[in-house]
Amino acid sequence: MINIILLYNLFPWFLLSLVIGLAVILFLKMEKIRELNSYVTHLKKSLDEIDEQAKLILRTDIELNKTQEELDKKITALYALQRISREISKTLDETKIFAQIQESHLEDIGFEKALAFLWNEKNKRFNPILNIGYGAKEIESIVLQLDNNFYLKLMENNETLSSFSLADQQLNEKIKNLFKVNSFIIAPLLPKEGSQGFLFVGTEITDTLLTAGNEELINILANQISQALENARLFEKTWQAQQELERKVEERTIQLSSALEEIKLISKRKSDFVSAVSHELRTPLTSIKGYASILLSEKLGQLPLAVKERLDKINRHSDELARLVNDLLDISRIESGKVTMKQEILNLKEILEEIKDLMNVQLKEKNIEFSYELSSDAEYVLADRQQLNRVFINLVGNAIKFTPPQGKISIKTHSLENKMCQIDVSDTGIGIPQESIKAIFDEFYRIDNPINQRVKGTGLGLSLVKHIVEAHGGNIWVKSKLNEGSTFSFTLPKP
Amino acid sequence: MRIGIGISRQTDISSALQEAFWQAKTQLEEKKITLCLLFSSPEFASLSLLKTLHIYLPHTPIIGASTFGIILSSHIYRHSLAICLIHSENSKISVAKVQDIRKKSALIAGQELGKKLLEDFRGEKRDFAMVFCDGMLEEGSRLILGLQEILGTSFPVTGGSASDNLKFKQTYLYFNDELLTDAAVGVLWGGKIVFNLSSRHGWKPLGKSRTVTQSKGNIIQEIDNQPAINLYKDYFAKEIPFLKKDLKYISTLYPMGVYLEGEKEYLLRNILSIEEDGSLVCQGDIPNNSTIRLMIGTKDSCISASQQATEELMKEFSFSTLITKKIDIVFIFNSVSRYVLLRRLAEEELKTVQTTIQKNISDKSIYQSLDIPMIGFYTYGEHAPLKALYYQGRSHFHNQSIVLTAVGD
Repeated sequence: MINIILLYNLFPWFLLSLVIGLAVILFLKMEKIRELNSYVTHLKKSLDEIDEQAKLILRTDIELNKTQEELDKKITALYALQRISREISKTLDETKIFAQIQESHLEDIGFEKALAFLWNEKNKRFNPILNIGYGAKEIESIVLQLDNNFYLKLMENNETLSSFSLADQQLNEKIKNLFKVNSFIIAPLLPKEGSQGFLFVGTEITDTLLTAGNEELINILANQISQALENARLFEKTWQAQQELERKVEERTIQLSSALEEIKLISKRKSDFVSAVSHELRTPLTSIKGYASILLSEKLGQLPLAVKERLDKINRHSDELARLVNDLLDISRIESGKVTMKQEILNLKEILEEIKDLMNVQLKEKNIEFSYELSSDAEYVLADRQQLNRVFINLVGNAIKFTPPQGKISIKTHSLENKMCQIDVSDTGIGIPQESIKAIFDEFYRIDNPINQRVKGTGLGLSLVKHIVEAHGGNIWVKSKLNEGSTFSFTLPKP
Repeated sequence: MRIGIGISRQTDISSALQEAFWQAKTQLEEKKITLCLLFSSPEFASLSLLKTLHIYLPHTPIIGASTFGIILSSHIYRHSLAICLIHSENSKISVAKVQDIRKKSALIAGQELGKKLLEDFRGEKRDFAMVFCDGMLEEGSRLILGLQEILGTSFPVTGGSASDNLKFKQTYLYFNDELLTDAAVGVLWGGKIVFNLSSRHGWKPLGKSRTVTQSKGNIIQEIDNQPAINLYKDYFAKEIPFLKKDLKYISTLYPMGVYLEGEKEYLLRNILSIEEDGSLVCQGDIPNNSTIRLMIGTKDSCISASQQATEELMKEFSFSTLITKKIDIVFIFNSVSRYVLLRRLAEEELKTVQTTIQKNISDKSIYQSLDIPMIGFYTYGEHAPLKALYYQGRSHFHNQSIVLTAVGD
């Protein structure tokens, strides 16, 4: 080949064609490289564009995540608030209200430190009542450094304070330094009952951004606490008042029952005394009366008229005294339960006829009309005959005594429910003043009126009647109008 | 294996402990307790808690950690205390602790923990290690590295970092009757047991790939020959002070992803802090020349990742024809970042895990109940092996991940 080239002297041609060929190849390669270059440039551009898009995505994503976190925090905070509210609203014990606020709740609301103070008017200082995140010494120093007037003013104005809304930077820093936090909210606790104070929450975390929303949240919490405090205090007050009342009732009951015991004792002593004295009186009385009777019978010799008159008086007075003593003795016997009432079926008509006979002389003397009217279902009573006689003698006797001549005494009976029978003894007498009605059955009570001043009486009659009626299980009362008459009513069991 | 779990929300430490302990104890009846796990909110972390528990269980190894939230079945318990008592006849267990990690360096501490765990394990078959470490530790990945230098480079490690109430200030570890900080505790598990581990995060890469051009351990100094922070400045169009303010979001929601060949997901690295010179301090190592991407997580991708992790966990037991392969408990170590991202959907994620487990065992007659006990906690960092063949199952320190560990005997 070389020989041929050399032979035909074709070398220049060969060289030329080689160069051309190479040039073509080079050109083609260059084209390819250019093409590749533009492709790479294109790719690079795309990649850069994608990277730019990545930047956009990241910037959007971080904002999105932050917003979402904020939202999540808010929701968590609201949940926590709801939990606290539920817990403290259930609490009626003031000391336990603050114990319901726990670190985890606080953390959910976005804070890790909290203090609550209540103003103590006596000591003129704020007392810490809630502490989360502080040591005992730290609290002590905070209390000492608290500007009381400032916080009292805050409470007075019902003002909420926070590190982001406080315009006074100097004050802002002062509060931050005092509580050792980077952000804070202070809300007043204003229960309408009892001592007031304020709630402080704060966080050391620097990237916590407080918003008006946080402030509102803490305000709601403070309100809830105040409400709970108020409820607890009102409850405590009511409860204490009730306790006090119960205590007083108990105290009075004890006093009364001891008084009652005392009265019973005195009453018993009196009965014992009366009974003893009566017995002692009766013996000499009997001999006085006996001797007087003997003397009066003139068996021991004639008596001058004057002596006879005096002896007569002795005899009469002795009789009165004997009656008095007997009545007294009866009352004390009935009182002490020593006398048992016999349960006889008595015909009232029979008894009243007897009484009429017995009283006939006196009735005639004053020309008093005596009548009785028995209801058909109230003719019989269950009672002790002798005692019932005494009741009627006393009542009718009194009626005669206080009824002016030409007056009327009437006795009526009627049946009551529960197998009782009511007996009314009415007269047209002088009547009983209203103020005396209550005391009329008391022993030795005598109404202050001209008849009583003139006519002697023991003051034991009605008392004895009352005792007898009550010993039968009945009642006695009186209705009276001054100058018109009185009605004594009593009840007795029916057979 | 028998499991007893107790939980208490009481605020008083000793009554909470009593309540949780007796709940757990009664479920175990009189059976011997092989291991006790204790998880609690940081406010419970006290010496008295551990001393009292140690009185209850004087001869039982106790390990645990403080946490933002305890996971129990599909529920999250905050401000609580949980006790998990395990009785296992076929397990061989050894526990150990290491303290003063910062002074010793994380690598040395990891080695020390490995050696201590092995002390009682001579000649025994060992299966996996569960390690809890201080959540404030910046070099979590070096601790795992040191541990694996002793236990074997592809030895599976699971667990996570302790956490606090998102204050990122102080986390605690529990070891027998000791309350520890700046420490790590671990349990080495062996014997005739079945187990499987899985982990996922669900974060997706976004934007261009970048290359780490200068880094040292867990600190990235330059990316594409520029100060590392420029990456975030550029993407978020914000200056450093604003980035620092939003670091909580940036760190949890938009971490850096390290590309690992053959792995399905990027290895995530949270940013702990931004240095003055624009360097980024990460929770875990990022080697020089790593290809990295900015990552983004969504609620959906996060939950579906958990489902994938559960499917993967159960695959081993699902296809097995061996009747003995029955799991008794599932441990969950879940990143707080996931909680921050999911927020009110957080329990949804756990429900997904629970139903996926139930779905996978529903046709197995060896299970008397579909309710496999699930317990764990929210972490500031997770430990789990990588699956790709290329990494020979080597465990790593993760962020933003859910780590599942199923065990049975």
